[in-house]
Amino acid sequence: MSRHLILDNPGVRRAGLFLTALAVVVLAILPVFVVERGQEGFVTNSLLFNFTQMFMMIAMAASWNLTGGFTGYVDFGHAVWFGIGAYGTGVFMTKVGLSFPVATAGGVVVSVVAALLIGSATLRLRGPYFSIAMLATFVATREIIRIAKPLTDGGEGMTLPPYLNRPLFFYVTLILAVLVVAMTWWLRRTQFGATLIAIREDEIGADMRGINTTLHKITVFAISAAITGLVGGLWAYQNTFIDPDIVFIERRTLDIIIATILGGLGTVAGPVIGSVVFYWLRDLVWSHFLHYHLIVTGGLLIALVLWVPEGIVGSLSDRSGATPLSRLLHRNREEQSEDDLIETAGGSDPDGTES
Amino acid sequence: MNQLLQALINGVMLGGFYAIMVLGFSIIWGVMGVINLAHGEIVMLGAYGAWILQENLGMDPIFSVVVIFPVMMVFGYLVQRILINRVIERPHMIALLVTFGFSIVISNVVKLSYSGTPRSVESSLRGYWDLGGVTVPKTKTGILIAALIVMLVLHLFLKHSRLGKSIRAASQNREAARIVGIEIGRVYAITFAIAIGITALAGAMISPTQAVYPFMGAPLTLRAFTITALSGLGSIPGALFGGLAVGVIEVMLATFVPRVGTNVGIVSSFVLLVIVLVLRPQGLFGGLKPRSPQ
Repeated sequence: MSRHLILDNPGVRRAGLFLTALAVVVLAILPVFVVERGQEGFVTNSLLFNFTQMFMMIAMAASWNLTGGFTGYVDFGHAVWFGIGAYGTGVFMTKVGLSFPVATAGGVVVSVVAALLIGSATLRLRGPYFSIAMLATFVATREIIRIAKPLTDGGEGMTLPPYLNRPLFFYVTLILAVLVVAMTWWLRRTQFGATLIAIREDEIGADMRGINTTLHKITVFAISAAITGLVGGLWAYQNTFIDPDIVFIERRTLDIIIATILGGLGTVAGPVIGSVVFYWLRDLVWSHFLHYHLIVTGGLLIALVLWVPEGIVGSLSDRSGATPLSRLLHRNREEQSEDDLIETAGGSDPDGTES
Repeated sequence: MNQLLQALINGVMLGGFYAIMVLGFSIIWGVMGVINLAHGEIVMLGAYGAWILQENLGMDPIFSVVVIFPVMMVFGYLVQRILINRVIERPHMIALLVTFGFSIVISNVVKLSYSGTPRSVESSLRGYWDLGGVTVPKTKTGILIAALIVMLVLHLFLKHSRLGKSIRAASQNREAARIVGIEIGRVYAITFAIAIGITALAGAMISPTQAVYPFMGAPLTLRAFTITALSGLGSIPGALFGGLAVGVIEVMLATFVPRVGTNVGIVSSFVLLVIVLVLRPQGLFGGLKPRSPQ
């Protein structure tokens, strides 16, 4: 199957890379032209705020893509790391009295430790079992935060020291997004990245070739949690107020998943393109039909998954040959063996092939 | 002692609801291999159905199930034909994402139509029986009895009717069922319709005992998953005992662990889920699938 599609052309790819670099440079000088409230001008503080949110989405989508796209472990509760990072930062700032950078680092550490603990249980599960165990982790963590009142102030939420510096958050998140995407690009080219793909396509095969699959899965899971935890910490400080319901919101996971699938699951450019398109698309829907926006979002997810599961990048390039994603997206159920669910799932085999 | 007995009674009552709520989820997963993440939203639709019928026609939820069950069966049939049928043969992730998207669409359509305000439904069957120190809520006893009746009927249907046999055949071996002339598409659609009907019925029955609001579904979906994973796919006794077990555990924890209240319910389900999945992924009861010949 040698389709020749637009993104397979090296010239187009170079142009894309050049345009991305140009966009980053333009974005980097954007805050210089910021105008105060009430003044005429295109670059307002709310535009900077929007871009900041978009950079956060890129960083989170790229980190979700590490587990969901590269490794094939589709995490339905990824926003839990965002929440833990946000609460870690909040607790370290208000209860311990640390400065913001130290507190955020603490929040990241908490996210990573939690990811190591939770991942070592949930990453033993396969396919839908993992996805739903993560969804349950997410819901359970929200309730734990609510119960742990002495530490987190429960449902009343906590207020962080206010710090309104839009350009600073803009730059920090821009740099973070660039670094995270660069890291996924680099990671994809390392042996570690290739191993992740191997786990996605044939975990038992990878295991039999002597790869310590559990170690790889937990490592990538922790990296992913660290990035999203950092975003959560930044978000908490920017928002200055956190409570369980605004931090642990299902929609955040949904946004990350849609952005990644829209762009192209398991590709480096996918989460970036997907986040940019989805962020502004959602903004458009938001401004015109506020009340319908979640209906549109859910409908978009259904339509995407049914008709263009490879996303924008995947549809425009044949690099799917290099990273086939077959176990996640294409292979017919009949061809999937029960190992796809769980090694020992005697009763959960969808086809009854064992009988 | 009374407190323990009371907690046990409350747990069993809650478990009765879980048992009937989980049946549809378990059957859909067992028969067509689809994990329906919009399951809790179907419960919610059933509860809203009871509320709408009461607001407009003054109908008691005990009787409105007669309307809700067939209406939701038609809904389920259409959803299967339009949406679920497209994902049955595709990888699990596709089915998960599609039903996840569907759950968001349903809950937000309901929120848009009837606002997010929690609603309450009145039933003529209310109050308690006082049994010397412990009380037994009447509504929940009704739900428990209804759950047992539905399970018995479903069991007889699957075991003895021609259609029920087709459903079991389709779940055990799709290809062989096709070869002997079972119309798989139709069987799947009918199975889905029945499952959705039962689920909505559970929602209508629970409506007098709890607040009805658009986002009540997600925790129920998670519990349905926990109970099904615990008890085996499509297993009716499994749904009953799994539901009762989870109900009793939740109420016991909420009663005896101080300062946590009912929030701990979902946490305990989650812990239970992980323990069960790691230790015994095939579930505690056999279910619709034949046991592995060993």
